[in-house]
Amino acid sequence: MREFGGITLLLAALCLALPASVGAQMEFSLDEVEDEEPNRAARDKAGKDAKEEGDLIEQLAAEKEVEGPEEPGLAREETVEEIYAVQQIYALRLKRFELAPSAAFTVNDKYLRHPGLGVSANYWFTNVLAIGVNFIWYDWGNPLERGTTLVEQIQRSFRLGVPINEWQFGLWANFTYVPFYGKFSMFRKFLFQWDSYLIGGVGFMRTKPIPVFDPELREFNWDMRVSFNVGIGLRIFLTRYLTFFTEFRDYMFLEQFENVSVDPANRDDPSTWLADSSTFFNNLTVQFGFTLFLPIKFEYRLPK
Amino acid sequence: MIKLAPQTLLRISITVAVASCLLLGDGLRSGTHSASAQEVHVTGPLADKPAVMKLRLWRKNRLQLEPFFAFTFGDDYSRALIFGAEIRFSFLDWLGIGGWGGGSFVNLNTDLTRQVRDKGVTTNRNRLSLPSRENFPDQVGRMNWMAGVDAHFTPFRGKLAMFQKVFFDADLDFFVGAAFLGISERSDTSIQVAPDGTQFCDPPAMDTMCLGSQLARSKRVAIAPSFGVAFTAYFKEFMGLAIRWRAFPFKWNTGGTDEAGPDGNFPDGRIDSTDRQGQFNQMMSIGFIFVLPPKIKTTD
Repeated sequence: MREFGGITLLLAALCLALPASVGAQMEFSLDEVEDEEPNRAARDKAGKDAKEEGDLIEQLAAEKEVEGPEEPGLAREETVEEIYAVQQIYALRLKRFELAPSAAFTVNDKYLRHPGLGVSANYWFTNVLAIGVNFIWYDWGNPLERGTTLVEQIQRSFRLGVPINEWQFGLWANFTYVPFYGKFSMFRKFLFQWDSYLIGGVGFMRTKPIPVFDPELREFNWDMRVSFNVGIGLRIFLTRYLTFFTEFRDYMFLEQFENVSVDPANRDDPSTWLADSSTFFNNLTVQFGFTLFLPIKFEYRLPK
Repeated sequence: MIKLAPQTLLRISITVAVASCLLLGDGLRSGTHSASAQEVHVTGPLADKPAVMKLRLWRKNRLQLEPFFAFTFGDDYSRALIFGAEIRFSFLDWLGIGGWGGGSFVNLNTDLTRQVRDKGVTTNRNRLSLPSRENFPDQVGRMNWMAGVDAHFTPFRGKLAMFQKVFFDADLDFFVGAAFLGISERSDTSIQVAPDGTQFCDPPAMDTMCLGSQLARSKRVAIAPSFGVAFTAYFKEFMGLAIRWRAFPFKWNTGGTDEAGPDGNFPDGRIDSTDRQGQFNQMMSIGFIFVLPPKIKTTD
């Protein structure tokens, strides 16, 4: 009986201790995972590769050396789960709307400045693909007040007139794709996320010639030009829903300029006022603006 | 009161001692950094780590050599294609100095130059600016070579994922300095009227219709501020790629025309330094970076 009591106490003590031991087996830390890693050579290689490729995540997972004896060869066949600590993407775009007001500046028109105010709206149907529209308004007052000195110089020095057109607005439907995603540190203290995207689409520009060669008679109406655009952009996340972005876009369209020659016999004939053929025009534009992602909050769906 | 035999007491004592050791040992372990399953999200390997670990010092105490190809853009009459090289040494990972230089192997006429050549009109009023439209491409200003020194400031650095497959380090390099531009312009001249009413330029002496002055060139070195930004990506410890925008605004007579005169006296019938106009000259370059020593150092 006394012995039974002793055994009972022993079992009771073991029962008290056993859950703790089992619990210890269910806990895992980075050290344990690395201790159970059987293939040291493979990990060393992975670490070297990660270092060469600049992958911090793999490097972190591979950097700690294993202490103790080598596992026997048979253990190399075992499957070992590796745990990677992966930082969540700072801001998901999936199923969010993007509203982006911007200012646009044409950089390649030497004769007339075309400042514009624009807005774009996109819907992200994957985390890297979006469909949307953008609109730019260019018509601000007398366009001749936005002419450069080069026009006067050409007229004065070479006795040449320069056909110039004014623009009213442009409207395009676009696809956006985000192939580049990264983060920068500033002075090794502040981290900010950014991405770079490709954009392209089709739409139209509404333009009309400014009468230069026979302004007394000639008068033009606004007309639509089919326009394509491609571009590349950079977006810096200020918060998870607010970004600053800049874009370099090429809005291409077939422009109809004024006829540089005047037929004295048919001077008042509107069919002679325009040039015989259209001119392929590249409107290279730099845009700056802010992006608001809606809804402001989003949830990660973690794998179970 | 129950009395236990010494042997039983010994067994009980051993049992309690073993159990206590197990419990105490587990308790001590629980009190340490060992993570439970619930705590993994909190105490992952990135927890309590600095913002950047094993930071690769791409520039500190290293020499960067960069052969590059560049082209000017936004030019009115002529753009230059340039081959050159840049050398930089960085005292710190974010601060360095460098020098660069290059020569233009081709100068391309812009569409405006071609249009003036094809359609320009010469009259007595603009004879000095355009003696003949056929030779207009020979009177415009050209960049022949360029060189400069810069201070480089690299506050932003990080890494980039491309298509979520390829990862590489990248940084933004801001620089400011001085540029020295070897340019050729139309030589100074002035237009005059002979007693018989014909126009001629001088110099060259008695240049009838200014045709000789249109082809006369003079060279000089212009000094300009230079600044810009480069995006640099590193693919190997000793090699990278740089895409650079550089601006170097200065005054020069790009068209070889009479544009201004002293005291607002315009046109003054002379082509000289007063006709130089401020131009915001820009160029883009792409270059391969080779770094010495080839082995890179990292922080803790």
